[in-house]
Amino acid sequence: MKENLYGLLAEFDTPTELVDAANSVREAGYKRTDAFSPFPIHEIDEALGIKRSILPVLIFFGGLTGTLLGVSLQVFVHYIDYPLNIGGRPYLSWLSFVPPAYELTILLAGFTAVFGMLFLNGLPRPYHPLFNVPRFALATREKFFLLVEASDPKYSYDETRAMLEGLDAQEVFDVPE
Amino acid sequence: MFDRGRFSAPAEVDGLRLPLLGLGGVALIIWLVGLYFDPEQALRSWLMGFVFWAGLCIGGIGLLMLQYMTGGAWGVVLRRIFEACSRTLPLVVLLFVPLAVGVLTHTVYEWTHLPPTDHAIEARGIYLLPWSWVARSIIYFAIFGIMAYLLNDWSARQDRTENYEDAASLLARMSRFSGPAMVVYALIVTFASVDWVLTLDPHFFSTIWGLLFVIGWALATLSFGAMILAYLSDKRPMDDIVGKRHFHDIGKLMLAMVMVWAYFNLSQWLIIWSGNIPEETGWYLTRMESGWFWIGVVLILFHFAVPFLILLQQDFKRRPKLLALLAVFILLMRFFDMFFLIGPTPRINTYGGPQAAFIVSWLDFVAPIAIGGIWLWYFFGQLRSRPLVPGMDPFYDRAVHHGKGH
Repeated sequence: MKENLYGLLAEFDTPTELVDAANSVREAGYKRTDAFSPFPIHEIDEALGIKRSILPVLIFFGGLTGTLLGVSLQVFVHYIDYPLNIGGRPYLSWLSFVPPAYELTILLAGFTAVFGMLFLNGLPRPYHPLFNVPRFALATREKFFLLVEASDPKYSYDETRAMLEGLDAQEVFDVPE
Repeated sequence: MFDRGRFSAPAEVDGLRLPLLGLGGVALIIWLVGLYFDPEQALRSWLMGFVFWAGLCIGGIGLLMLQYMTGGAWGVVLRRIFEACSRTLPLVVLLFVPLAVGVLTHTVYEWTHLPPTDHAIEARGIYLLPWSWVARSIIYFAIFGIMAYLLNDWSARQDRTENYEDAASLLARMSRFSGPAMVVYALIVTFASVDWVLTLDPHFFSTIWGLLFVIGWALATLSFGAMILAYLSDKRPMDDIVGKRHFHDIGKLMLAMVMVWAYFNLSQWLIIWSGNIPEETGWYLTRMESGWFWIGVVLILFHFAVPFLILLQQDFKRRPKLLALLAVFILLMRFFDMFFLIGPTPRINTYGGPQAAFIVSWLDFVAPIAIGGIWLWYFFGQLRSRPLVPGMDPFYDRAVHHGKGH
């Protein structure tokens, strides 16, 4: 039993092997897993059992906040705090409130999308234990990697290692903390 | 070589044709009775039906050119539906005849009765005379006809090509044609929509009017295409061609077009609101009174807000039947939009009542049903006459593969 390990990393040659391995790992009951590939593999979400991101919902409410902010700002300024008679139009000239409210909707939705994405991904993060494995750099070039974290409830060093090796991995690395 | 017979529309489509023609025929006879008793109302209702259904034909030409310019899998799977829409043009010309006769006999459009001293008539001179109005429409149909003929002809030739190079060169030719033709198309739609609808109220003018119809007809045709594609999607041969990702893409486009429709309408309204000039505001003031106000509220809520919020959701767009249901709903809202534009305009004969009174005539239901039944009968005939997919298109295999993805 090794101590102070972040997890186990298996290396594969092809995306198909990676997806097959991910399926087996999910079926074995592992939850805290991740996969790395030089290009997007759409099947991997399903194979690893990754749930749909909550980001679209956050963006919707970010946008809604923008709309409400835009409307209430203009209602406050033009109707409550400093009513101005502009060409005889009503103070609550709601039609002309639409463009600024719309712009604020887009602004806050955009901010939520960018910063929410960064936050949910745990970025920016200059260091990660995976960098302790020198061959992991190949994940940006030609190799495919599957990670099982040591914090997974099903994780036990010998069993997990044996299982990953049984999945036709090229090699299984220990990832030091 | 592309086996064209294998890809023709299922026989169920033929089963729809006769009932539709029967429905249209019966409605047409009822409409003729209405025409005898109240020609102006009958022709106004006919105009509403005509602008809606002709919009599917003209919008088909526009979307056909759009998908040749942008490319994309949605265009490959919808192309034959748009082509069938565009080939209904001869019928659309025939359906226009009652309106032409109505204008030439001074029975519809208030401007045919205004005195020559009226400033709108005086300023427009020869442009707004019955014969020049009809002559212009003939020119519009001729130009639309050239576009529809060329695009359909090249596409049919592509089906018969033997190799990739010939098919690719025909696709390149259609794409090259579509760019410049799109400019002409937008201009002709502007002229046509101004003639057919805007001149109902000769004292109102709007420079964004044509774009309201470019986008309105595009949205209607795309929704119609989504509906037909969803209907075909569980039958041979389309069941192993279209996938949920195609519908996802179409749903995204519908969302964009719903937003553009709202954007153009808001632009017109906001500019007139800001300008606050009596000759423009009257158009909106009549539409903010009586029943017209509620039609406007329905449009804001159900032509924009509800479809917008529904189409934001990914899961919804990926379910063909649900998307088709929304498409039918949008088509219904297109009728409300046409009613909002056409209904309140001044009449020649108000029978002693005020102008712009809120009138919902029984003919407003009969005329669109009459035109719709006949148009759909013709459309499904055209849909059956060619393979449902452009199988020789260089991007065909990729487009099919795209639909099966996640």
